[in-house]
Amino acid sequence: MTLDSGRFLPRNELEHLFTALQADGRRVVGPTVVDGAVVYDELTSPAQLPVGWEADTAPGKYRLRSKGGERAFDYTIPVTSWKRFTHPSVVPLTRGRRDEGRVVVESVIPDAPRLAFVGVRACEVAALAIQTRAMRAGPLGDADHAARDEAALVVAVECATSTSTCFCTSMGTGPEVRSDVDIVLSELDDGFVVRTGTPAGARLVKGLGLRSAAAAETDRATKQVAAVREAIGDPVPAEGLPARLRAALDHPRWDQVAERCLACANCTLVCPTCFCTSVAVASDLDGAEGSTTRTWDSCFSLGFGRVAGDANFRPQVKDRYRQWLTHKFSTWWDQFGSPGCVGCGRCIAWCPVGIDVREELRAIAPADAPSGPIPWPRSPAAGRAPAPLETVLPATHAVATIRALAAETVDTTTIRLACSDPAILAAQPGQFVMVELPAFAVPPISISRMLPDGLELTVRAVGPATSAVTSLALGAEISLRGPMGRGWPVAEAYGRDVVIVAGGIGLAPLRPLIDRILAERPRFGAVRLYLGARTPGDRLFVHEMRALAGRADLQVAEIVDRAGPEWTGRVGVVTQLFDQATWNGGRVTAYMCGPERMMQATAATLGRLGVRPATTWLTLERNMACGVGTCGHCQLGPFFVCRDGPVFSLAGLGDAFGREGL
Amino acid sequence: MSSSTRALLSKTRFAAGMSPDVVKRLAALADVADVPAGSQVIREGEPIAALGVVVSGRIALRLNVPGVGPQTILTVDDGDVFGWSAVMPGSRSTSTGTALVPTQALLFERERLLAAMAEDCELASAVYQRMLKVVARRLAATRVQLLDLYQVGHAS
Repeated sequence: MTLDSGRFLPRNELEHLFTALQADGRRVVGPTVVDGAVVYDELTSPAQLPVGWEADTAPGKYRLRSKGGERAFDYTIPVTSWKRFTHPSVVPLTRGRRDEGRVVVESVIPDAPRLAFVGVRACEVAALAIQTRAMRAGPLGDADHAARDEAALVVAVECATSTSTCFCTSMGTGPEVRSDVDIVLSELDDGFVVRTGTPAGARLVKGLGLRSAAAAETDRATKQVAAVREAIGDPVPAEGLPARLRAALDHPRWDQVAERCLACANCTLVCPTCFCTSVAVASDLDGAEGSTTRTWDSCFSLGFGRVAGDANFRPQVKDRYRQWLTHKFSTWWDQFGSPGCVGCGRCIAWCPVGIDVREELRAIAPADAPSGPIPWPRSPAAGRAPAPLETVLPATHAVATIRALAAETVDTTTIRLACSDPAILAAQPGQFVMVELPAFAVPPISISRMLPDGLELTVRAVGPATSAVTSLALGAEISLRGPMGRGWPVAEAYGRDVVIVAGGIGLAPLRPLIDRILAERPRFGAVRLYLGARTPGDRLFVHEMRALAGRADLQVAEIVDRAGPEWTGRVGVVTQLFDQATWNGGRVTAYMCGPERMMQATAATLGRLGVRPATTWLTLERNMACGVGTCGHCQLGPFFVCRDGPVFSLAGLGDAFGREGL
Repeated sequence: MSSSTRALLSKTRFAAGMSPDVVKRLAALADVADVPAGSQVIREGEPIAALGVVVSGRIALRLNVPGVGPQTILTVDDGDVFGWSAVMPGSRSTSTGTALVPTQALLFERERLLAAMAEDCELASAVYQRMLKVVARRLAATRVQLLDLYQVGHAS
């Protein structure tokens, strides 16, 4: 950033800055004292600033105390952060209506207020940029965040004081303001050194008619921020920390900190970069109109890693604390090219039991700890992290009409949908869509067949939304968003033998792959299909699979976990189907989908048969609430399953596959 | 023993890795049985008469659940064994084995097999190693089945 050489704003003219910001059509938001704490709120006058206050913070402690004098920005860090304004705790996403089977779902177009953020600390400038990268990492980005972010003007204030919980120095974010901001203030006793970093900031400051700052004034400003740097020191060994943390996933300290952690989520709520959200659904009484709303959530919530049917990928507090800490200081790098922590220290002060993240980092990943082996490769998204989307548009919703319904099992139905949306029709095998029926939650559903004029979804009714979708009548409409995720890499298997392993409803996302392989059959060597199900009655696409078994160019073997005497097929686990395999695994590209534990066992068996991890592909299930990597639910180590997957190679997942609590 | 018995045993997965001499001595103890579909080869709770190795076909191992009926918990295909309890002194069958399709099996009469194994350490070692593998594999598979992975509540 190139800041200009500085002007001087006398203290009694701070009002002029407020007036200029308001004249620019902006509401001013800044620090003010509410209920004994400094928070960010809308201000009409500098008189509302926390003049004469300073904060005393420590692990689990925040106290304001009066220091007197006229200085307005010596309170260090407020309780709340700016994300309250760029990433509000409640944001409307969609509005939908159902009328005689017709469905309309529309994204709510963001209506971002023009705000001026006054009093943004260096660490918070970094936090705003970090959250913007996260919200714009693609493939779609978050339209609401983008609109609010673009509508805000930033007036930063360099710190002249620090508190015991500050560690911006270690995270490389402060206390000096180095990033692109519109205006930077350095508070002196009698006024402010004012610098600008953008044309918008320069235009505003020019209108104030300020004199140039004297050398003594800029010197004082420089010295006071240097003193802050000195006072904070370097409390976190940040150099090499991401790799050391990855190597410490089994450190005993996770258990110890989990004994103290209440999983209250305070740390994530006060964190200026935490962006995880959930989707809440509202409905009128007859279900004809509904809306979805994005609300703040936290990876500390028990249900954050829960998927349909109550399976939970992070059931223990230990799992959730590890997720939070490793995400902030390690996997955030893979995803967005920076740490997710700016060193503001809010999580330390507002932890009710006083857990100090700096202390945990020093215990779990001290500077002399080993930094390997790394349990997973780089995220496929890592390469694009530094280049966030320039334009973010609201999500589009396609309408699809139910043309046929076929009951596969007692709880699973295949729905044939007509849809003319070009993006949906261009879906690849292995991709999924978000299915929205107004007044119901929005589940991700794998596409089970692509058709020239639509698609099929095979839906297991495990909750209200999937039950509602499978209960619809012919001719009814549903809304689709997608296609989402990375599909099966079909071309990888050209010229090779193919092994497909499906467990239960895992056959659904594999079915378009089978279709594609059969459509291009001469391109592949031997094709073998291995199917597992709970009971004979739980098998999917029974007639289709029987027809496939009759083909000369395809081998089909199936097995069920248990059966009555009427079943003459195999009984046992899927891996049993490989007992008699004599094929050469080195020539095989394998694709599998099923319960993760089943896939682990299958992957081990395939490995023994010589199938390489790089040619073993699987699709994972996690709680995919947004489908585009912005809600945070589906994280697995460095990956967003919705965006980087759901299809991964075994080699690409590394030890992240099957690791408990990840 | 006929050479065809030895040939049958040799081609099974059960005999994989076995030395030709041991195959020969083991085959000498075998009787070939052609089991029609629907016939029972072992019965739950009854003394085991023989260890069986499936040459071709399929045997369902079933447990009877009062009020529910027979439940198949495992099928045994080519090269796999049934009646493994035969090599355990005094054991009874843990399940009922029923041929689901016409099945050819090699049967090793229990007393003869145990007597031969008592005399022939190499033979005993080869048989016990394979029995241990079979039991371990079935134990691992049963554990996975106990998890009921395809039930709602497991990611799929």
